[in-house]
Amino acid sequence: MKINTAVICAAGLGTRLGLDMPKCLVTIGNKPLIEHLLHALSDVQNIRIVVGFKEEEVIKCVKNIRKDVVFVRNPNFMHTTNSYSLHLGSRDLSEPFLNIDGDMYITKENFQLFESQIIENENLIGVTKSYTEDAVYVGLNANKEVIAFSRDKISDLEWTGIAYFATLKIREDGGYVYQELESQLPIRSCNIECYEIDTPKDLELVSAKIQL
Amino acid sequence: MKIAFCFDLDGTLTNEEILPKIAKHVDLVEEIDLLTTITMQGQITFNKSFRLRVKLLSTIPIQVVKETVDKTKVNSHLKSFVNKYKDNCFIVTGNLDVWVNDFIQKEFGCRYFSSTARYQDEKLLDVDSILNKKDAIQSLKEEGYDYIVTIGDGMNDCSMFEMAHVGVAYGGVHEPVSTLVQMSRYVCYDASSLVNLLESIYTNYSNEN
Repeated sequence: MKINTAVICAAGLGTRLGLDMPKCLVTIGNKPLIEHLLHALSDVQNIRIVVGFKEEEVIKCVKNIRKDVVFVRNPNFMHTTNSYSLHLGSRDLSEPFLNIDGDMYITKENFQLFESQIIENENLIGVTKSYTEDAVYVGLNANKEVIAFSRDKISDLEWTGIAYFATLKIREDGGYVYQELESQLPIRSCNIECYEIDTPKDLELVSAKIQL
Repeated sequence: MKIAFCFDLDGTLTNEEILPKIAKHVDLVEEIDLLTTITMQGQITFNKSFRLRVKLLSTIPIQVVKETVDKTKVNSHLKSFVNKYKDNCFIVTGNLDVWVNDFIQKEFGCRYFSSTARYQDEKLLDVDSILNKKDAIQSLKEEGYDYIVTIGDGMNDCSMFEMAHVGVAYGGVHEPVSTLVQMSRYVCYDASSLVNLLESIYTNYSNEN
């Protein structure tokens, strides 16, 4: 089913990457990361981007790529989590939406694969083969539904940060986004290939992939 | 329980600034443009600049101004939204009632708050009162509008954003001034996205109340 609305969270500092810029503006293959993401999401009608750290730079960059983005401000980005940003990005929405982080690299094909697995009124969680150091692992049942999230390595799959929220309101005082999903488990999963750029190593990995 | 959408007029609901259009009649385009620019940037107060601009334009017969204002290009997406939610939409403008009243009635048909002028027949005498946008919001609150959404782009919109529950900085014509952005929940540059956002704020408010 088609995704009409996406909320991209791009408010954070990205300290682990160690560059003095928002992660979504880091250049990969001659383009800022956010441009790759907006390309993958080019068929999504409504895009909201939650901005905080260096918001003017993010806004300036994005509006030249796609003018119809609605920016949602999180002025308290230093002291809040992604879940809070997602709450801000979705609190005035009364329709289902996709959540994705602004530091995510995903191809259009993988995004479309995820989209094709969406069923009306059902949440869907994106999982991927685990590769990061501090992953949140997902446990699946035989129907490939997520039944648990864990910091312990309970499977070879990790939570991507990509989810379709059909029925869920994100609380203001929540912890992490996956914790918001915990109350709704089991939730169907979709296995996709995507990479979050958290560390210099991630950046190298994805840059190498794009060059192939 | 009522929601109010409060729109700035010049450069928000209209696709062009109104005063510079009027200035063409008296060959004062550059002067008015300069004043408009430094006012947008907050270098001089809106009040001072507005009095100056009106003074420069006061020799033009009111009817001529009205005819010019009448031709101002309106944003069609926003116009449809205002027409659809007439009872919940308000225009809050520093512009003069004698100049914009007919235009607002014709294009938008909603209530408005504006500055006022003293005039005699076709002659504009003086600015009578300059609207402080904050007062418009205050009086809407007193009427029972308990959820205020403001949409604007300039320094003189700040006082109404300060009183609002949701501020939307809209850069349809100009880049919204950074002070206003700092006071906003949302920033957007596209009229159709803005309407979409306002629709969803309206729906969400209606569902919760």
